[in-house]
Formats: sequence, C-alpha cells, structure tokens
Amino acid sequence: MKGTPRPPEEAQEGELRDLLPRLPDEAQEQEVRELLEERAKRLRGLDQSDASREDAVLLVAEFPLGEERYALPLEALRAALPLRMVTPVPLSSPHVIGVLRFQGQVLAALSLASLLGGHGWRQDPAVLLVVDRGDGELCAVDCEAIPRPIGVPVSAVEAARARSEGAIIEVLFGAQPGQQQLVHLIDPARLFMRGGAGARHGR
Amino acid sequence: MGVDPLLQGLVAGFAAEAQEVCQKVTMDLLDLERGVLDTEGLTKAYQRLGRYLHTLKGSAASLGLQDLSEIAHKLEDALAPLRASVQQMPRPVVDVLLHGLDIFMLRVHAHADGRGDSLPDYTAALAQLVTEAPAPEPGASPAAASPAASATAPAAPAAAPAPAKPAKPVTLGPSTATATAAMEGGRDETHGETSEGAGWRVSSRQVTTLMREVERLREVRLRMEERFRELEKVVALLARQGLLAETAEARTLLSGVGRAMRSDGEETADIVDALEEGLKAITTRPVRTILEPLQRMVRDLSRQLGKEARLSVVGAEVSLDRRLLEKLNGALVHLLRNAADHGLEAPAERERTGKHHEGALTLRIEQQGNLLFLEASDDGRGIDVKSVRQMAEFRGLASSEELGRMNDNQIRDLIFRPGFSTRTDVTDTSGRGVGLDAVRAAVETLQGRIEVASTLGQGTRFMLTLPVELGSSPVLQVKVFDQEMGLPMLAVEATQLTKMSALRVTRRRAQLEYQGQMLPVVDLGARLGLRAAHMPSEGQPLMVISAGGKRVALAVDAVVGDRDLVIRPLPAEVRDVPAYQGAATLSRGELMLILRPSWLVSEPATQAASAPQHRRALVVDDSLTARALHRAMLEAGGFVVHLASSGKRALDRLQTDSYDVVICDLEMEEMDGEEFIRTVRERPDTRELPVILVSTHESGRERGRAAGADDFLSKRDCAEGQLLKVVMDVMSRRGGRS
Repeated sequence: MKGTPRPPEEAQEGELRDLLPRLPDEAQEQEVRELLEERAKRLRGLDQSDASREDAVLLVAEFPLGEERYALPLEALRAALPLRMVTPVPLSSPHVIGVLRFQGQVLAALSLASLLGGHGWRQDPAVLLVVDRGDGELCAVDCEAIPRPIGVPVSAVEAARARSEGAIIEVLFGAQPGQQQLVHLIDPARLFMRGGAGARHGR
Repeated sequence: MGVDPLLQGLVAGFAAEAQEVCQKVTMDLLDLERGVLDTEGLTKAYQRLGRYLHTLKGSAASLGLQDLSEIAHKLEDALAPLRASVQQMPRPVVDVLLHGLDIFMLRVHAHADGRGDSLPDYTAALAQLVTEAPAPEPGASPAAASPAASATAPAAPAAAPAPAKPAKPVTLGPSTATATAAMEGGRDETHGETSEGAGWRVSSRQVTTLMREVERLREVRLRMEERFRELEKVVALLARQGLLAETAEARTLLSGVGRAMRSDGEETADIVDALEEGLKAITTRPVRTILEPLQRMVRDLSRQLGKEARLSVVGAEVSLDRRLLEKLNGALVHLLRNAADHGLEAPAERERTGKHHEGALTLRIEQQGNLLFLEASDDGRGIDVKSVRQMAEFRGLASSEELGRMNDNQIRDLIFRPGFSTRTDVTDTSGRGVGLDAVRAAVETLQGRIEVASTLGQGTRFMLTLPVELGSSPVLQVKVFDQEMGLPMLAVEATQLTKMSALRVTRRRAQLEYQGQMLPVVDLGARLGLRAAHMPSEGQPLMVISAGGKRVALAVDAVVGDRDLVIRPLPAEVRDVPAYQGAATLSRGELMLILRPSWLVSEPATQAASAPQHRRALVVDDSLTARALHRAMLEAGGFVVHLASSGKRALDRLQTDSYDVVICDLEMEEMDGEEFIRTVRERPDTRELPVILVSTHESGRERGRAAGADDFLSKRDCAEGQLLKVVMDVMSRRGGRS
C-alpha cells in the first residue's frame, strides 16, 4: 500500500492524516482490512499447494488421560456435560459408571480409562462426553476436563492407520522432528464394537 | 326427540359423564350377580347403584332429555325392591338392568350426535324393557324372585303378565355385546371430535415433537440449577477474598438473583411435571378402560353358551399408548371369546372333572421397560394336540407327512393358521376359522409376537409380547443405602415391617412366615452386591415379591412411596444385567433403576462372590468415576468391593460389614478422609484396619499419615497402576489375609 508514489498534495494530506489520531471507525476499518488480507493470503497459500491431502486436517477433541494425550474425532462428539446426575448400576461391568438421561434417552456413562485398560485419571473427571458409538447409538465417557479442538493432519492419521487397525491409533504429527506431538486417536466404532474388555486396544 | 339447540353443547358433556356412570353401574351389577360381596358390600353397592341411576335421571331431565330420564326412572324402580332387602341380585334382574343401560346409552349417543330426532319413540323402548323382564327363575327362592317381578310391575301397569314358561334370558348376542363394548371403547377416542366439537386432531409426530421439547425444557431447568450453584460459589468466593465491605452490595445483589433463580427453577420444574403429566394423559390411558367392557362381554357370552365364567384382570392400572390399546382391543375380544367358547367346559362337565363350576379367565398385563407382556389364560380343557392334528389335515392346512414331522408345540401353533377351526359347525361365536389368525396378524402388525402354551385338561395360556414406546406403570420406590430403586407394583404382594418374632432365623438364612408359607428373606443390598448379606433388623421394611409363581420377602432400607412412572429401556451396555428391566426419570431428572421381579425371586447365581474366602475392600470416594476405577482394579485383583460416597457412609458400613482394606479419598463432603481415618483409629474394632488415603494433591500424604493412614497414593500413582500393589503391601504389613 505504501509502495505507490503519491502526488505532493496528496502526500502532504496523507502525512497529516498519519499524524492525527484515527477515529474509531477508521481504526476498525483498518483492522478489518488487515484481517481480510491475512485470510486472503492464507487462502492463496492453500490454492498454491492445491489443498492437497497432506495439508488437510482431521478435527479432533483432544484431552489428557493419565500421562498421555487422547483424541476423539469431532464428528463423533455430540455434547460435553458436567459429570453429575449419573445413577450407578450395581452388578454392571466394571467400566460402567452408571446411566444418565440425555435428550430423553437413557445413556450409559462409561469409564474411558477403564475401557482403554488404564488405571485412572490424574484428577477426578468432571466432564462427560456424549459420543456417537458409530452404530447410531449414543453413550457417554468420562473426561478430566472439556477437551480442546485441534487439527491433526489427515496424512498422519492415514499413516498411523496403515500401521495399526485397532480402536486406538498412535498419530505422530508436527512440523519439526523435535516438536512432534503424539496423540492416541480413538475410533469409537471399533472401541465400542469390541466392548469394554479392559485391555488396551490397538496396542 | 330433539334437543334444544342451546343445550346441544351440554349433551356431549353429559354423554361422557353417562358413559362413565354406566360403566360403574355395570361393574357393580356384575359384582352383585356374582355374589362376591358380603352384607356390607351389598348394601354399599345397592346404595351406589341408586345414586348412579338417580344422577343419570337428574342430569338427563335437566337437559330436557325426557326419554332418558324415564328410562333411568324405570331402572330405579327395578332396583328399589332389592335395595329394601339387601341380597345377591338375581340374574334376570341383572339382565334387565344391563339391557336398560344399553338402551339408555344408545339413545345418549344418538342425542349427542344430533340424531335424537330419528330415534324411535322411547315408550316403545320402555315397553321392550318391561316385556323382556324375566319371570322368577325356576327353583329360585321367592325372596330372590319377587323383587324382580315386582320391580317390573309398577313400572308398566299395562305390561303383559310374565310368561308362564321360563323367560328367555335377556342376552345381548355376543356380537351385540362386542359391538357395544367396541363402540363404548371407540367413543372415548372419537367423542371429542364428533360431539363436543372442542377437540383437536393432531398427528403423533406433533405430540412426540412436543415431548422432545418438554425433555429439553427439563434439561434447561437442570442447567438453571447448575447456574445457581455456580452463583453460590461466586458469592462464597467474594466473601473469602477479604473484600467483605467492598463486595457487600454485589454479594447482596447476587444472592437476590440466586434466590430468584432458584424460585424460577422450582417453578420450571413444576411446569415440566405438569406438561409431562398432560402429555401422558393425552397419549396414554389405563388398560382398564378397555378391560372393563370385556367383563360384560364375558358374562353375556358365557350365558349364551350355557357356561359360567369369571374374568379376572391383573395389571389393569398400567397405562398404555392409546393407539396400541385401540389395536389390542380387538385381539383381546377374540382371545376371550375363543377361551369362553373352546376353552371352558360346561359347568356340569367341569364339576365332573373336579373343577369349580365357574370357569376362570385371566388377563394379566405387565410392562417391563419397553415391552408389554399380556397373558390371556383359562382353566378349561386345554388344546388337544391330537384333535388339532386331525383337523389341520382335514382342512388341508398341512400334509400328514408334514404333521408327522411336527412336535406338539408346532402342532399347537397351527391354531394361528388362517382357516383353522376345530368346530365342524358354524355358530354365532366360532367355526369360521377366523379368530386366532386375526389375533396373530394384529399382534404382528404391532411388531409383537404371540405364543401359546397348554396342558390338556388344565387350560391354555396365550402370551403376547409387544413393544411399547409410551405408557407408565405403577412403581414402588425403595431405598437401599443412598440409592433409590423401583419395584413394579404388580409384583409387590404386600409390604410390612420386620417383626423378628415372625421370622424363622437359622445361622445362614432367615425366612418369613407369610400366609402359611415360608418365604426366604432376601437382602436387596446384598443381592445387588452393595454389602454383605445380613439379617433384617426389627422394623426394617419387607416387601413380599411375587413373580412366576415364586415369592420372596425382600428387605430394603426404606420405602419412599409409590409413583406412576414411564419405564424406559436401558442402553445396550447394561441391558444384559438381569437385575433391571429399565429406568425411569424422577422429578429432578435423575434416573431410577427398575428392578426385575423375576430376578429378585430367582436363586442368586453369584453366591461365590460373597463367600468368606474372598478379600473384601471398601472404596470411599465421592467421585463416581474414581469409585468405578478403583472397583475395577480391585475386582481384577480378586477383591469383593463395596462402595461408599463419604466418610460418614463408610463408617455406617463398617458397623455392619467387615473389610480387609479401605481405600479412602481425602477431599469429600459430609466427612472427609482425614476425619474418617481418625474415627476408624479411635474405634477398637477398626483400629487395626488397613486404610490407604488417596488424593489428587501430594500434600495429602502428611495429613493422611498424621490421621493414621497406612499409606498414601496420589491420583497420579493410581493412574500409573500402583493401587493394587500398595493395597497388597499394606495388607501384608498389617498381617491381613493377602
């Protein structure tokens, strides 16, 4: 913007304008313009790389479990609820925390740690994630805190799937080798189809 | 006879009222005829009948419905002499009164539908009623016969004298009775639309959408409660910051908002409850509304067939989807007609085979989760497999080779084939081969199934299983520890408080003497694996539970009350747990598990789990998930695990049960882990009990040690799988049975 030479009168006026404090509308307009330019730049970048599958991302809900990081595909997540109003079910399997009501349905609340063969959480779970089990039915799993949404490169997911066919796959991703992240991606359909055997799936 | 147009709107209301009153009159008449009432019961029944008929007469007269008023008057006249000398009502009088009610209701509906003008002259109806009045039955006592005769005399001085021969009983042919019953049942559905003009026609989709919205509203209410709790936390936080003076105004304001929010939340809860009740009333109705007219049908049909039958109904109070009931009505009519015609024997034949002269027909309705079980049974002659086989071959339903390959159950199933009938002649009741195939078709249309079981000479049972989406069942709410459980009322035969003198206690078990039978006493808490079995204490509630011919006395901690609840199916993950048939939502939105009666009366299969050689652990944690995880770990290590949600509740458990180890959380409401351990160490009987403290914070280690804990585990340690190892170490140090 500043690269184009301006006529002397206009340049003088421009310098004056630069010296004067900007009105709120002007400041906002400027910020909006910069934001739009930034977005356009990003889109141009995407276009140049032909939006290849290498750069496509799978949106996941990521959360800690013990010392590790786990993730559920965002498309399988239906809701995050405070962990309360759960009725324990005596005589049920150890991985069943209880039952709760969600949108008129009775759902089972399951201990994800127990389901994955883990021993516990670092702190008591406060959240229930309502998940589509992959067969159209819903269930809820416990979680220490509301998960954060992140993008995992599809290429990394596919590479991990090529190595393992289990309900949990270890996805390694990141720009630099030293800054790579490891996340255990849960496949709800496989996890719930196999039930809560208590063993680590896909390991 | 027309109705004043100004009063037409009121006639529709009267029709609904008359329908209800006539149904009550019918039930009372059937009771009076059966002779099941004692003198007091008879007196009250006659008084009620008098009131009902008088109400009908008065209401009809007030609307200018002279014909109805006079019919009711004549029925009152017929009743009057019997009221003076209270006794069982002679059958002919019952016939007259029932016939009179039929005429009355037919005319009521005609008036309500605006067809009053086309009705025949009511005097003809009155004359018909009087001329059909029976003479005294041969052999009937004069006392029993005279009221009937005198009942008709004043009503119609011009009536012909009673015939000399035994009067033809006034029977509505089964088809008429059925039609009447069906019409009566159907009236309820269509009445509002055709007569009142004040109803709406709505699709089921609209109603279910509304139901979902009510569900959402309930969830909004729960979120409001959560917001209120958060607000309370904010107020508490502001008070803690040492800014008491500065935040006083804000805190006052917030507290006010909180109070208003709580009040709004309570009002919303009331609205949700009212909406749910309203929706339930719109979409469901009690099964008795279709069963009561069947009593009349059975009575009339058995008379026509020269038989005696009595219909008993169990579970009539269950409320079901109106659409389902409407479709079931026809199937039930078929089943009962079939039972009365083919199943029950004539009185003389029954007596010859040692049975009561009156045949017993039973309808049993039970809703379990999203399934409806309906059983229609009789104590008649049963299905003769040989005869079915011959008839099937005769009618060409199967070849002799095919029949030869079939077992008895398969042969019995042939009765559901179209065209099957064991009758060679066609009567009003049967013989056309249409009936059970129609029942099966109706049941299959509802995605249900029908089965038959029969014992020759003893009777037949038809069992229908149908899926239900709507409907509610009466449930008794009981408490075991801090968990509420529901017992289907249908299975609860009696409730009583334990009197130790009524128990027969041996070293290992207790039995309750009930109606001359010794019933095993089952501790619900132990049966659910929540505690070790123990003998009931004096005053503890005991429920006599009956299912499938078995009975037990179930000991619970408390009885909360009875409610009409919608039982929903359990999710796949817990559907296989045999202890429960479903779950119901309580008013705050929490779920209550509904116990399965057949499981309660069955022999416990997990006897070994509570055997003394197993190590026993008590997990004390206010976090449901932590309890579940510790339980899973310890059970995998061979422990029998009991749970408690606070220190206080754990102390209660330690008073009745003994444990090898206790795993206790530090931060808990009611009583924290530190206080719990101190109390355990103070008590002589638990002083040496191994206790492990668990906490999120490492700082808990010192607090635990100071209180007397044997060891400490952080949640991180637990997550790393240290729990079982530490438990074994501690037990070993304390000299436990590890």
